[in-house]
Amino acid sequence: MDSLQLQALLPFIVLASASVVIILLIAARQSHTVIQITGFLMMCLVVLAMWYVRDVLPRAIMPLLVVDGMAAVFTGLIVFCVLIIGLFSFIYFEEREENPKEYYILIFLGTLGAAVLTISRHFISVFIGLELLSISLYALIAYLRNRNNAVEAGMKYLVLAAMSSAFLLFGMALIYMDTGSMDFDGIAKQLQTQGHSPALFVTGIGLMMVAVCFKLALVPFHLWAADVYQGAPVPVTNFIATVSKIGVFAVLVRFAQAVQLQSYHFAVIIISFVAIVSMVGGNLLAIKQQNIKRLLAYSSIAHLGYLLVAFLPGNAAGIEAGMFYLFAYSITLLAAFGIVTMLSGRQADADQLEAYRGLYWRNPLMGAILTVALLSLAGIPLTAGFIGKFAVLNAGVQQQLWLPVIVLVITSVIGLYYYLRIISTLFAETQVIFPKEKSLHPLFVAGTYGALLVLLILLLGAGIFPSAVIDGIKNFLCQGFRIINF
Amino acid sequence: MGTTQILFWFLTALALLGAIMVLVSKNPVHSVLWLIVVFFAISGHYILLNAQFLAIVNLIVYAGAIMVLFLFVIMLMNLNAETEPQKSIWMKFFGVATGGLLLSFFISFIVSSIDLKNKTAQLKEGDVGLIKNLGKVLFSDYVIPFEIASILFLSAMVGAVVIGKKD
Amino acid sequence: MPIQYYIALASALFCIGVVGVLTRRNAIIVFMCIELMLNAVNLLLVAFSKMHYAKAAAAGAVTTAGTEGQLFVFFIMVVAAAEVSVGLAIIVMMYRNVHSVDVNFLNRLKN
Repeated sequence: MDSLQLQALLPFIVLASASVVIILLIAARQSHTVIQITGFLMMCLVVLAMWYVRDVLPRAIMPLLVVDGMAAVFTGLIVFCVLIIGLFSFIYFEEREENPKEYYILIFLGTLGAAVLTISRHFISVFIGLELLSISLYALIAYLRNRNNAVEAGMKYLVLAAMSSAFLLFGMALIYMDTGSMDFDGIAKQLQTQGHSPALFVTGIGLMMVAVCFKLALVPFHLWAADVYQGAPVPVTNFIATVSKIGVFAVLVRFAQAVQLQSYHFAVIIISFVAIVSMVGGNLLAIKQQNIKRLLAYSSIAHLGYLLVAFLPGNAAGIEAGMFYLFAYSITLLAAFGIVTMLSGRQADADQLEAYRGLYWRNPLMGAILTVALLSLAGIPLTAGFIGKFAVLNAGVQQQLWLPVIVLVITSVIGLYYYLRIISTLFAETQVIFPKEKSLHPLFVAGTYGALLVLLILLLGAGIFPSAVIDGIKNFLCQGFRIINF
Repeated sequence: MGTTQILFWFLTALALLGAIMVLVSKNPVHSVLWLIVVFFAISGHYILLNAQFLAIVNLIVYAGAIMVLFLFVIMLMNLNAETEPQKSIWMKFFGVATGGLLLSFFISFIVSSIDLKNKTAQLKEGDVGLIKNLGKVLFSDYVIPFEIASILFLSAMVGAVVIGKKD
Repeated sequence: MPIQYYIALASALFCIGVVGVLTRRNAIIVFMCIELMLNAVNLLLVAFSKMHYAKAAAAGAVTTAGTEGQLFVFFIMVVAAAEVSVGLAIIVMMYRNVHSVDVNFLNRLKN
């Protein structure tokens, strides 16, 4: 490994050291505030490091990793999400006063896992990254361990995630048997030159898809999603909904790009099927929900289904659309869960729909942000969600994937119904007296509102001037598509 | 049938017997002990395949550390009773049917696949599994995942401490 | 040994693990069955590694084919150990909270 390769890994090294710094601070008995600020600065440092190393990209660190433009986009998005989630976590954990400090170690380690996924080009690094993410998540989901919900959610996630890892490994083993190679390019080369046995390859891909569908919470492997979203602390729910999905999707895109997954007929059929049942199932399950965390869980199932439609074409346009969609989806969910975090009280999370009745009259800013976020989830024009959905539709129509595209349009209309139902709740008259707002350090209140405002601006900005974001993504991707030779 | 063949079939039978006994034992401690038998059988397979490093690591990590941890937890909770509630007969039937279907799928595809014909796993010889060769590759090409694995342990440690500590 | 035998053995162990996860109610045994599944995969990978090595060695020349299969097994063992430590901590926590390790106990999260 030469110095340039080490330099390319700098952001990841900083990310790893962030958790060590937090451990040292905890050992020195620093307060929650100090740890929060340090964590925030460390994440900013990661962003700076990414900026600093931009010239050495793309760079492959054989045989396991490749840091290229695509990795930079995904990692950037992940780090951005964690920055915002970290800010929201402060208010959430400060008032619970249940050892909030170790939380930051775990969240940074989970982030590192997701970031490793984005740069993986080999089964070993995929597996290690995925497990780093999962193991941090086991502890994070069960973090508030005195609540029974947390136990249940943690236990469910533990059993199902471990089992899906076993399926993933079995699939990887079969592909290794077939091609004799574990890195994506090696597999692709073997598949091209010596031909392959369809049975082995199909079984391997099928078993791996089981695991990927589980991690992305796609139907028919979605059963854990609602329970885990509901049982986990709100910032952790936010983390699962954004960061872990981005990481897994990144590795899916990279693998598909290397082996030309979409040129195999069976793969397209499997993915279309999963996308269609996820869009239909997610939206139908969400309709009757009264619990906003469960509702967002089902809605995220549907959104990952939409994302798969962008993944189906397998060309540059599809990947760009997918990336934009993921960007829009992440900032939208960050904003929505941010509001849930702000409203959560000491005893319980604000997850019942009743807690939002008349929110607009009580707190116009929060009401407005939640409204915009929900409109963006529904895909109403002038929001990021609309442009994302439009890009996905465009990519689908170009490849004449009529069935998924039609299902996407129809289910979006169903989705509109329940998003509008929540919005109408926000504007309803309220008689209920709500407890007084909690008192916090003004710096953090300002920081949280600032983060929410940034999200609002991004949501509207990407909705009104999408070209800036799309050009940015294209720019990075061009870098990524440059051929890497060593 | 040479010694190697006899050993292979003996270890295979032992592994399958152990696995089934893990499944049907009522007492959790017996399940743990049968699982250790499975691990020993699998280690035996590794030695037959001349993967000595993995055979030893398997014994140390799985049979030695992980299973002791399981036993420890079972004894800590005093679960040594045969009172585990049973799932309903339909759930059991469904579970066995799913497993059986999956297995029959694998078996049919092993029997039918032409590409698997005439491919053999080399027994007794071949030095790829020796610690010298693995170590060289592990600490040159695969040093980054090795480091990430150490971070993974940090995560596991913090997680276990956070969840397990007293209030 | 023909590679089919290894695949058959590993898939049998894997499927026994799947049946265990689906039919047992004791969380610890469910978790042990998952370990069994991981071990089945390990056996498969080592057999494949020796298969690829034999193929490359038969073609002549000194080769490192098959090393990555065995290293992958090594990493799987490492990860399994970490996973077990956190998993058992969660099971102990569950026992403390609900005084049972019955997975069917976990059905309160609904609406």
